[in-house]
Amino acid sequence: MALPNPLRFLLLFILTTTTLATSILTVTIPPSNPLPNPNSLPAGTHATLTSLPSSSHPEGSSGQQHKSKAPLSRSGSFTFHALPKSSSPTSYLLDIRSAEYIFAPYRVDLSADGTVLGIWETFRGNPWDNRGAEKFLADVSAPGSGRDVTVEAKVLSRRGFYEERSTFSPLALFKNPMILLALVALGFTFGMPKLMENMDPEMRAEFEKQSRASPVSGAARGAIGGGGGPANFDLAGWMAGTGNRPAAAAPATEVDSARGGATGRESGGATRRR
Amino acid sequence: MASPPPVVPYTAAPQLDITTAGSLSIHPHPCFLRQSSASSNDQFPPEVIIMRLQATLLWLASCVPSAVAIYPDEVNHVDFHHALLGVPTPESTFFLRPPSSSNASLLYTLSEDSLVGAINPRDGSPLWRQNVSRSSQPDHGPGLLRASDGVSSIVSAVGDYVSSWSALDGKLVWENWFVDESLVDLELLHLADPHAVPASKDTVALFGGKAGVVRRLDGESGDVKWEYKDESGETPFQVSSSSTEVFYISLQSGLLKGTKVKVTSLDPVTGRQTRQVTLNSESDVSGPESILFVGANTASPLIVWADKSQKILKVNVIGSKKVSSLNIENTSGQEIRSVVIHAPHQLNSLPHFLVHYQTESSSWAEVYHVDLNTEAVTKAYSLPRVQGWSVFATSNKDANVFFTRITEAELTVVSSASHGILGRWPLQTPPKERFLHAVAEVVAKGESVAVRSAAVLESGDWQLIRNGQNEWTRYEALAGAQAASWAEADTQEDLAHQLQVEGHESIYGAYVHRVKRHVKDLEHLPEWLKELPKRILTSILSDEVSNLDGFGVSKTVIVATRNGRVYALDSGKHGAVSWSVKVSQGETWDVKAIITQPGYATVYPDDGSSVTLNVTSGGIVKRTSATTKIRSVAVVSDDGTPSTIGINGKGAPLEPLSGPGFFVTSSDDGRVLGWAASNNKVPVWEFAPAPGQKIVRAVARPSHDPVASIGKVLGDRSVLYKYLNPNLVLVTAVGDSSATFYLLDAVSGNLLYTTTQEGVDTTQPIASTISENWFAYSFLAHPVHPSDAMGYQLVISELYESPIPNDRGPLGAAANFSSIHDLLPLPHVISQAFVIPEPISHMGVTETRQGITIRQLLCYLPSTNSLVGIPRPFLDPRRPVDRDPTANEAEEGLIRYSPYLEFDGKWYLSHVRDVIGISNILSSPTLLESTSLVFAFGWDIFGTRATPSQAFDILGKGFSKLQLLATVVALGVGVVFLAPMVRRKQVNMIWNA
Repeated sequence: MALPNPLRFLLLFILTTTTLATSILTVTIPPSNPLPNPNSLPAGTHATLTSLPSSSHPEGSSGQQHKSKAPLSRSGSFTFHALPKSSSPTSYLLDIRSAEYIFAPYRVDLSADGTVLGIWETFRGNPWDNRGAEKFLADVSAPGSGRDVTVEAKVLSRRGFYEERSTFSPLALFKNPMILLALVALGFTFGMPKLMENMDPEMRAEFEKQSRASPVSGAARGAIGGGGGPANFDLAGWMAGTGNRPAAAAPATEVDSARGGATGRESGGATRRR
Repeated sequence: MASPPPVVPYTAAPQLDITTAGSLSIHPHPCFLRQSSASSNDQFPPEVIIMRLQATLLWLASCVPSAVAIYPDEVNHVDFHHALLGVPTPESTFFLRPPSSSNASLLYTLSEDSLVGAINPRDGSPLWRQNVSRSSQPDHGPGLLRASDGVSSIVSAVGDYVSSWSALDGKLVWENWFVDESLVDLELLHLADPHAVPASKDTVALFGGKAGVVRRLDGESGDVKWEYKDESGETPFQVSSSSTEVFYISLQSGLLKGTKVKVTSLDPVTGRQTRQVTLNSESDVSGPESILFVGANTASPLIVWADKSQKILKVNVIGSKKVSSLNIENTSGQEIRSVVIHAPHQLNSLPHFLVHYQTESSSWAEVYHVDLNTEAVTKAYSLPRVQGWSVFATSNKDANVFFTRITEAELTVVSSASHGILGRWPLQTPPKERFLHAVAEVVAKGESVAVRSAAVLESGDWQLIRNGQNEWTRYEALAGAQAASWAEADTQEDLAHQLQVEGHESIYGAYVHRVKRHVKDLEHLPEWLKELPKRILTSILSDEVSNLDGFGVSKTVIVATRNGRVYALDSGKHGAVSWSVKVSQGETWDVKAIITQPGYATVYPDDGSSVTLNVTSGGIVKRTSATTKIRSVAVVSDDGTPSTIGINGKGAPLEPLSGPGFFVTSSDDGRVLGWAASNNKVPVWEFAPAPGQKIVRAVARPSHDPVASIGKVLGDRSVLYKYLNPNLVLVTAVGDSSATFYLLDAVSGNLLYTTTQEGVDTTQPIASTISENWFAYSFLAHPVHPSDAMGYQLVISELYESPIPNDRGPLGAAANFSSIHDLLPLPHVISQAFVIPEPISHMGVTETRQGITIRQLLCYLPSTNSLVGIPRPFLDPRRPVDRDPTANEAEEGLIRYSPYLEFDGKWYLSHVRDVIGISNILSSPTLLESTSLVFAFGWDIFGTRATPSQAFDILGKGFSKLQLLATVVALGVGVVFLAPMVRRKQVNMIWNA
């Protein structure tokens, strides 16, 4: 090994600087769809680097060694000063901890002297070797490339903590079938007389005659106009479709009327027209 | 407190409430009745039908699990949060006006537990909190916090860690570590330099260690600008600065006795030593504790000490050699207990200072002025002597200096220039305890002044007094609560007692008793009637969700704090403190358990003593003296009269109890022991884990853990019978990189099930819980093989009697099984693991009255300071893997398994709240089946109402009473309008006919 002196010094210089210098990893948060303003993150947001306490770590200090934490800085980034050194290259899990926003986890591989070898996206519940998009890869030819690394964090989504309370709106009222039924009934009550007035007299006469034959109106009339008034109205008999009806109806009408009181009038008409 | 200890130590012994089994009649060899029994093998035994009904209920309940989140308008109504900092330290608490927030100033503090926080002085709510105890040194003091008006950042230093935080939002500006050195003093540099950047000020920090080092740190980056090393071996004491110099004050031990104070002046730009002055103080000063005050950043920085007999005060203006002697005028005739110097910390303020003397029963103060030219110190005036204590606070407005004095009765403000009282306010609520220290902010408007003062009470509470009015109180002593327990007032007990009396009397006697009771109840009728209109009105109009106090949601929680106090919090009134009493005679104590009975709560500290308190008033009812040191407390319930017993470090009960009962204890050397209550010498069984393993935790089923259904109805209407053993204990043991979970029968000590997880990071928290017929645990797993996943895992296991539906395995038609007599049947265990995004440090389960409501697994997430309740259906281990559920499974409510379980935002019980340092979660049933009360403590206090299956038995706020009323009114109006019309029409019809 006969190296020229200047080169030897240079090598020595590089060696000493690698052992002295500490590496810095900075994670920035770019504005994104779920998080348009990264400055709005609460102060408790932080990033963690977690790894396995490998056997090479001295016992006891492992708690400090294999988990480091970086608080959110004023500029909206996380900085890990002095990345941990170990006796062998180690891979770390980089998480950004925020209750409200979900960040993609990263895999960070560090060399023994604490420089960054590479950063990839990783997927929870997937094999550790299943690396996603590459965020950073150290340049093997340039020895200092993994010393000061900046990567961008990726916001996946935002958690919705709250339940939406349904607010009262008049439109929602009209979606209610009961309200709709009531409105239709109301329309008939007010609209029918108008309709009758507009009918031509012949047809009106026919309609009236027919509706007189209808059991409901007939019964009502019977009840009100007949002998003793409401007192001797036989409700049970009326409901059963028997009893003293002023006008006898065709059997078909009876069946129809039994089917439904509300449609009695129209069905009566149908029978008649048949 | 952001990172709790990695291994949660196991403190309380699992207390097995065996009266739920209800079969202790067979005394020597207790057998255990199943909670429900299947008596025959008919096709549809009645139990099965009932069970299906229950199953339908359960299924209905499980149909709505996704919508359990809190409504935004219920925040602060159903939940409460005491966001605590810890007791503020006197030298690191101040009012400060961050530059961008216009006029409003904020209250900043660094607590004794190294939490930095900004408090809104208006209502006492914290704007931000940061834990700065990130030093690698284990035993560092609380640290220091410094700031200066007009600067947007504050600087804190604890141990070897110096950091600067944005004053407005608590985000990091810079941080720096100085390995193997620990901080002694910290000051911001106020240079009269016109070129200085106003947004940030450089920091001067003094470190001790092998040698004293003064460093100037850049205000923007925290980098070291220069450092001055003191290799002389003197004790580094403090740094101080004037507008032109930085002073390094060290203590030089004299040859024979006493200590000399050495002042070294440094050039602020280069850090070079310019001159050195040694003061002749060796006759008075014996060490750092004898120096009363070193004024920092004042126009005239001072060093003040007193002679040994406390007759003469010696004052030196830093930088000069001259020492002025001032006589202490002590007319009280009592020995002076403390001398405290108060001086402004602003560079431009007048060079005035106040000396506060306190004796046993009185206090007074004297104000001195310093002449900057001659360096002479003259007495200006003295403040009168009052009986009792008083505290002083200094504040300044521009150059004017104000002194605020709080005594037992009043708050006064004086100017440093003259003795005239500018403002005097009597205290509206006289303090129950003495104040320790205070900070004040004085606003002067012409002649009148207004003052608000934040004072720390002896109890650790922090109070803001504005012009004599108590604005808010922060119960900082609650931080780091040691134990808590739900308590019941004895009013309900009264009714229960009355009903019991009626049950035992003859029919006639019971009837008379009942009539009498009802007549007596009529007393409350006028009151009730008076309240009625108001109640109806408020229930319709007010914004209140509903007043559910009558349904048991308003419960008292008894909390024991580190400083020997007991607090009662009312969960119905947003966790308001009902009472607090000092219970322990000592400064601190270590409470092992709080056991409550209706009306009373008993606190058990570790010295074997006990204190019983009245739950409603806080009065001490009974006190027993200390005996032996105990490790935990066991409760043996026997027909409603629980007897408690201390457990010593060996895991043995201190004395035998009469009567039947069993309990399980753990010992310091990592064994789990089972005991019969009548024998405290020899345990019934003993369990030790495999060699190389250490027990870290043991949990038992909650004492209130009703099971609504004895089986699980599958989609094809067959039933998987649950393995329901009331005496289950889940023991967690860790090896080097593995965790083993043992499921034991507590009566016999038989091992029912065991499982080992490899590749576990044992320094990370391993949480576990057990309820009903399932248990859950979580840990951080590392890839053992390269193809494995790395991350936190949550494992859930369910216990069944047999793997085959409609089959009870070896039990057959047996109604009972015994832990001891027969062969104990082993459970069939179905497990599933989920990968979760973050660690869980503590687990709990929601408890409801009947157990019909689905349970939530309550998990505390220490990395995001949140509390989540994971609905059980998501954690079903029978979720089909790698395929879609079949029609039968879908009917059962099973969804396809996915290995990654992301916490849904709707599961967050703590929503946006930053709940830090939770180490324990309590749950309690209410009278409403849907609702379970949750109370979490450890550092912060957080309480909420959990409704895991939605509030199905409450008309919530979504039910608009107003809308209902409007509909009824509208219908009524419609009838009124339509009735005449119809009548008219009918009459017309008759005429037409």
